[in-house]
Amino acid sequence: MKLVAFLYLTILLSTNSSCQIENNLSKYSRFIGDIDFDGKYDKQNFYLCSEKEIVQYHNDGNGLEYKGEKFALQAEILSKFKSVLDTSQNGLIRIRFIVNCKGETDRFRVISMDESYNEKQFNNKITDQLLSICKELKAWMPKKMDGKEVDYYQYLIFKFKDGNLIEILP
Amino acid sequence: MKAILLILFPLLALGQTPNCNVYLYNKDTSQYLACKSVEQVNFYQYTRQYQEKFDKAIEICPYFAYAYNAKSTAYLKSGDFINWKKLIDKAISLDESYLDYRAWCRFQFFRDYKGAIEDIEYLQSKHNTINIGYSAGGEYHLIVAKAMCYSALNQKEKAISIMLKLFSDSTYNTELYDFYQLGVTYFQAKDYENAAKYLTKQVGIYDIAENKYYLSKIAQIKGETDIYMNLKNEAINLYKSKKYLFDPYTEPFNKIYLSTIMEE
Repeated sequence: MKLVAFLYLTILLSTNSSCQIENNLSKYSRFIGDIDFDGKYDKQNFYLCSEKEIVQYHNDGNGLEYKGEKFALQAEILSKFKSVLDTSQNGLIRIRFIVNCKGETDRFRVISMDESYNEKQFNNKITDQLLSICKELKAWMPKKMDGKEVDYYQYLIFKFKDGNLIEILP
Repeated sequence: MKAILLILFPLLALGQTPNCNVYLYNKDTSQYLACKSVEQVNFYQYTRQYQEKFDKAIEICPYFAYAYNAKSTAYLKSGDFINWKKLIDKAISLDESYLDYRAWCRFQFFRDYKGAIEDIEYLQSKHNTINIGYSAGGEYHLIVAKAMCYSALNQKEKAISIMLKLFSDSTYNTELYDFYQLGVTYFQAKDYENAAKYLTKQVGIYDIAENKYYLSKIAQIKGETDIYMNLKNEAINLYKSKKYLFDPYTEPFNKIYLSTIMEE
């Protein structure tokens, strides 16, 4: 009996450890686009209801939710952003972040591209400004799914033409 | 049999579970095996397991376009334009039937008007009919999407003529928001008579807050104060009843928000 139990335990442990190894070796995070904590950029005390169950902003079927709708969000951003006129500043900048179950934000990450979908580094005066503005947005609505408060990933895409912010998505 | 295949391939492009027998019928064992390996995948598109399943399918058959398209979706929905474009381009390089989907997504998710027009015009050049496809949700014909792109690029007259030509085609069935989009384009071109004509037609098809808002604006421009106030109130009520343009992923084209209706 002891031998059976020992063998069962050995198999169980080896299965678990091989799962861990597989997870560690995978080039993918748990979900595509997951943002892990990074002490260099993120607040140590940013509270998450459930780190392992962060959903996407569209999972509840309600899409982007900001007090006053996207109209208010857009107006807030446009009132703060100052154009950096430069004919080379064209393309899209995406800032993705987490809105926690209280409607607070953190873990901001930036990617950007030119008009042909190639990675592009925008002028820091543009990206730094956008990051600061995004961090100041305080009217994100907390979301619930199945009656439970959830943390969620949200992104904003900024479209630029000659250094002018011409559209905000999604 | 060809007819059946023609029906099946659009289903593949929409990302539904593929019918693997299509590949078997074409004696393509490699794609058949790759297809069988993902036939029962029930992981969420964003998960590691989903991505890895499709990576394995690509290992079995490196030209299995369906797998690249399937992998691209999570990147699209998370706004990762760079990885989405690499994957969807790969799918299209192997199978052009995904081109209609890319065209729509360029427009819907990234407001890449020129890119969407390029894809749609290529599709039109390849087909002799208007049957080139629809938006991912089926609410717009791609030729209307092309017109909306031209409208966004401020080529209003071109957008109008594209829509009028399509709507006059006897084989075309009007979609849910066609007259709204045409009416708004006329409004933006300051042709209020035609704007009112098509926005009124939209009321009969599916009345939405945005539609009533534009009708109220026309009344306001004409100086018809009572009609303006009534239409404005109708727009507000429709909005409060959730009868407005909505999409959970992105802001619909020519969407109007409650604040705008109330403040103007």
